[in-house]
Amino acid sequence: MNTKSTFCGSNDHRLNRRGFLGLSAAAGVSAFADMTGLDALSNSALAGELKKDQKRVIMLWLAGGSSQLETFDPKPGAPTGGPFRSIQTAVPGVHISELMPKLAARMQHTCIIRSLNTKNGDHGGAAKLMMRGRRDEAVVKYPDLGAVMAKEMGRADSKVPDYVTFYTQTEGRMAGDSGFLGSRYAPMELTTNNQPPDIRKLDGISELDHVQRADLRELMSKQFSQGRPNKVLGSHNEAYQRVRGLMASEKLFDVSQESAKTRDLYGRSQFGEQALIARRLAEAGVPFIRVARAWWDSHGQNFETHQEMVPELDHVMAALIDDLKDRGLLENTMIVTLAEFGRTPGINSSLGRDHFASAWSCSITGGGIKGGVAYGKTDANGNKVVEGEADAAKLYATIYSALGINPHKNYYLGSRPVPLVEPGTEAIKELVA
Amino acid sequence: MPAKPEQFKTVKEHGFKAICFSLTLRPNTAKVVFGASDFKVYEADFAATKFEPKELYGHESYVTGVALAGTKIVSGGYDCKLSWFDSAANKMIKSETAHGKWIRGVHASKDGKTIVSVGDDMVAKLWDAESGKLLHELKGHAEKTPTNFNSMLYAAAFTDDGKTVATGDKVGKIILWDVATGKKTGELEAPVFYTWDPTARLHSIGGIRSLAFSPDGKTLAVGGSGKIGNIDHLEGKARVELFDVATSKRTWEHQSDKFAGLVNHLQFSPDGSWLLGAGGAAEGFYLMLDPVGKKSIRQEKAGMHIHDVTTTPDMSTLYVAGHNKLAICECKG
Repeated sequence: MNTKSTFCGSNDHRLNRRGFLGLSAAAGVSAFADMTGLDALSNSALAGELKKDQKRVIMLWLAGGSSQLETFDPKPGAPTGGPFRSIQTAVPGVHISELMPKLAARMQHTCIIRSLNTKNGDHGGAAKLMMRGRRDEAVVKYPDLGAVMAKEMGRADSKVPDYVTFYTQTEGRMAGDSGFLGSRYAPMELTTNNQPPDIRKLDGISELDHVQRADLRELMSKQFSQGRPNKVLGSHNEAYQRVRGLMASEKLFDVSQESAKTRDLYGRSQFGEQALIARRLAEAGVPFIRVARAWWDSHGQNFETHQEMVPELDHVMAALIDDLKDRGLLENTMIVTLAEFGRTPGINSSLGRDHFASAWSCSITGGGIKGGVAYGKTDANGNKVVEGEADAAKLYATIYSALGINPHKNYYLGSRPVPLVEPGTEAIKELVA
Repeated sequence: MPAKPEQFKTVKEHGFKAICFSLTLRPNTAKVVFGASDFKVYEADFAATKFEPKELYGHESYVTGVALAGTKIVSGGYDCKLSWFDSAANKMIKSETAHGKWIRGVHASKDGKTIVSVGDDMVAKLWDAESGKLLHELKGHAEKTPTNFNSMLYAAAFTDDGKTVATGDKVGKIILWDVATGKKTGELEAPVFYTWDPTARLHSIGGIRSLAFSPDGKTLAVGGSGKIGNIDHLEGKARVELFDVATSKRTWEHQSDKFAGLVNHLQFSPDGSWLLGAGGAAEGFYLMLDPVGKKSIRQEKAGMHIHDVTTTPDMSTLYVAGHNKLAICECKG
């Protein structure tokens, strides 16, 4: 980060942002780590408009690749099916793994896509693909879904971060990436605990001092602004308001603010608590929150791994659905349960399943997605898609469409138009409410 | 003639369409009854000119335990059911839900009078082999791991006199039970078999997968895998621990310097002079150990990940069930 960059780009108003804020809002908070860039600030100020109807996304990222056969596309009795049974869901004719009874009871809110063929079985490359919906080009680094949501749904006057990601386990950790959208839309990354680092004011600064400093800055800014109507100055002030908001948002990450009943609803596991924080953030207006739950890469003992991890996933998904629904948020909040790929139908000699991107599944709930749908079909052994094949681009076109974002809109890299999804890709219309 | 582990050799391997999890030998024959991942129980005759396993009956999920009680076959599986099948009459006697979760193993006492089944409901159950009547429910293994995930109860073994049964769970706890009363008589701890990864992957792997008492009942062998670094794979070394039953003290810990994976089967020789271990990961292995001298006698690669072994009483012939294969091996001088 260039700490000498300026808010407005002019030498007259060169300010050292770190110097002004003190170290309290320092480098760890990447959401505003580079808000000094002229482009980013002017973009947010110039945008001006309130973004659509404030859709939000909570992504449950099943890092390492969960098995579709032990979750959304069971094949009981097939040679590849494994030992788990399938159970009837609340939607007649739709069955999922017996490991997910709670989701089964809520299937009317959820759609399953069973026909993903994403053609990339490498953790790193596949994770990038499935977080973006498309592959980077040599000269174009695409933003991930979080960054696009931050841009499309983030509000200029927001006091909360636009993109928050939890990835506490170390295996396969991949940071969020705003690509060519730049650091204005980069995520606040939480990797060590559930509280963002470095947003607390320094202990040596009293609350009164903190407020008075802000008031003084605002007064000076107003005096300076008089007679100087300028959108860039607006951005300048907005940036400070935003940082103040972020510093005040610390409590959003504190699950102890919730009742014991609500905490029990989500469970006292790390995954459950992060999902609860995600709901708190979504409710406060954060457009995108990713909760990564690693690590599903079950090359050995696949069934033991899924026996251990799927019930937790089932519980967390059910809690999120119920809580969002009770709060009237489910209609505008999308839960995407996604991994970088699925697992092979073939069971290896360690009773594991390996990487498999040819015929796998994900689920989407709420936020403009039609519930109660099982879209697409794989063959009897789960080896290939036989109906409704969808690649990453199609999945993303569907997600964007459901969220009210035109998947064919262009961003601009200089004068080059860059479409949001691969040209020629259409959403799965059956899934868009 | 006593079996000689130094003479161990694989005689024949037969491919099979499913994963073979458990098997038991019909006395004085070369016929085995085995359970498989295609939900079925089969009988196969290794002495037949053509090796053609014959389907006997089915479960509704993986069949993970088979035992013999006279002409009756007792089998258990991940459908939580225990089935009692009269093979002489070729008729199912009864099939009932015996456990609340997956049945991981079914074993008969040496005299064939008592059956023990273990399941992920963390209960071991003792059954009268003849009548199928439930004798005792053995409850003492924790249902949850220390990190609040569901635990699993994998292993059980009787002493040769049938008076004691040991059970071993995922987190490395072993409980000794009095068969007559169903009361707990002792506990042993073998935590190395369980790997919990709190940092990189936030889940677990491992567990006690096999148990065997020495013929005098004084020593208990425990099998599984050593600590695993990358729990995506069964990369921990094949591990066996010996315990002195009277003191509950571990007397030997052995990790293969050659093979990784789970020791799924343990069996002392009739005179207690050697101990057979078998199991696998991506590939399978046989371990032949000297429990008295506390040293390895021999380690051999197997043609498949081995899930179970049954032998002639003198252990000179071994019948082996594994990943898409069945095999016959010999330890004859």
